[in-house]
Amino acid sequence: MGQQFLAYITSLANGDLGHSYYYHQDVLTVILDFLPWTLLLTGTALIVSTLLGFVLGIESGYRRGKSLDKTLLAGLMFLNGFPDFFMGIVLLLVFGVVLGVVPLSGALTPYSGLEGVPLAIDVLHHLLAPLAALVLVRVTSAYLLTRNTMITTLKENFILTAKAKGCSERQIKYRHAGRNSLLPVVTSTGLMMPHVITGALFVEIVFSYPGVGWLLYNSLLTRDYPLIQGILLLVTAAVLAVNLVVDLLYSKLDPRVSHAR
Amino acid sequence: MHVDVRHEVAERSAGRAGLILIGLMVALAVFAPLLSPYSPRENTDTPAFSPPSAEHWLGTNDARQDIWTQLLYGARTSLSVGFGVALLSAFISILIGGTSAIFGGVYDRFWMRVVDASIAIPDVIVIILVAAYLRPNVLMMILLLSALSWPGGARVIRAQTLTLKERMHVSAARTFGAGWSHLLFRHLIPDLGPVLVAIMIQDARRAVFMEAGLSFLGISDPSMMSWGKMMQYARVFTYLEVWKWWLLPTGIALSLTLIGLSFTGFALEGVLDPRLREKDDHHHDGGI
Repeated sequence: MGQQFLAYITSLANGDLGHSYYYHQDVLTVILDFLPWTLLLTGTALIVSTLLGFVLGIESGYRRGKSLDKTLLAGLMFLNGFPDFFMGIVLLLVFGVVLGVVPLSGALTPYSGLEGVPLAIDVLHHLLAPLAALVLVRVTSAYLLTRNTMITTLKENFILTAKAKGCSERQIKYRHAGRNSLLPVVTSTGLMMPHVITGALFVEIVFSYPGVGWLLYNSLLTRDYPLIQGILLLVTAAVLAVNLVVDLLYSKLDPRVSHAR
Repeated sequence: MHVDVRHEVAERSAGRAGLILIGLMVALAVFAPLLSPYSPRENTDTPAFSPPSAEHWLGTNDARQDIWTQLLYGARTSLSVGFGVALLSAFISILIGGTSAIFGGVYDRFWMRVVDASIAIPDVIVIILVAAYLRPNVLMMILLLSALSWPGGARVIRAQTLTLKERMHVSAARTFGAGWSHLLFRHLIPDLGPVLVAIMIQDARRAVFMEAGLSFLGISDPSMMSWGKMMQYARVFTYLEVWKWWLLPTGIALSLTLIGLSFTGFALEGVLDPRLREKDDHHHDGGI
């Protein structure tokens, strides 16, 4: 067994993750085929939900207790209760089956031979529903965090100073209070990464979106063990890499961190 | 400042809504046999895919089974997994987080690195991998989910214990020669109360979600009814009208359970975090 492990590690160092039974190809080649779609989906979902949550959180925290804040808070908390896959199914049923405005599966119209701008539109069209499912469920954590930090930050003295200086409301919201609220949001976005990947996994399955999650599901059904292991390894590595990037971003956002060194 | 946590959570509208939802689900699960004359696996005489009627509140599925009954028994699985994981993982969190704070040193550093490492790993994928090799049952699901969810709680408990252990009564107990287990269970846990409940609610929420998600993927105990599994079966028949009373109610039941847990957790967080309190002390406007 020790020898087996040694052989595994040695070939791993050479970029050899094993051979997929089902696809009859190198595990790495198979995964790389599916990876771009997952990156597209999780990447956009992460960015859109963080930005949206951030802006909504600032607006909501600034108007704490007002009707906009209450509506947003209750609405987003409610949406957050939906599991990703159920949200995906509902969107798929409503917009795909009943209204027929979004495609039911896949990431591209097969054999359409589209190129350039029409291709990009086609990709976006397919991306829309899965992306919406992920964003609707994920936006709450960034929102709640920003809102909570906003509430605490707005009590600080420098906000009073900014008001006294005659800064505009927008400047106070985004430059003074917002920037300080960004820190925990960035950290949690990094920590959210495993959850987003998990969420994407379910959403990809619901929409038959050809990403790594869908591949994992299929490899599970076909009991393609080398492929399952390869995916686990790569996803974990990706999550660790994102955490590193978040740490590095941190010093850019917070001058205190970089000065401390 | 003394805070009557239980009272305050119930007084906030989010907290009240959450508690009512949880209570409702628990009632459905506990009184399942009284609320339905059928058993979840019983093949009734009604034709398959019949729409809701007086005998079958949510119609029947492809195997002529009563969907309402399956929903009730599904609540049992979801809630027992949620409850089991909350208890077990809170216990592990206390044990690891508490002792790390009490002992400190290498022991503390070791466990905190373990916590860091396990937080970075996506748990669904780990469970899928384990489940691919072993056939999961409910007990194993609880063990697995607990094994993956304790680190978050352990970190919080450790931080709390670090401040608590400097308090006078703990130091006093220490001078009398109290051992770590006495310190932890006699002096620290009672003070950890509300925080512990917050952690447990969070763990329960995640566990209910994961159980449903995993059984949706087909990773579940074949002998148990489960919401995720019901949705997995129902999803196949979306081309029929049947999803309206099969897929949708199941998903809504699951979502309401999750929403109940997160609302309660949110209200609790609002009560516990003094920075979020201040303004609310005069008027209880639902923690908002």
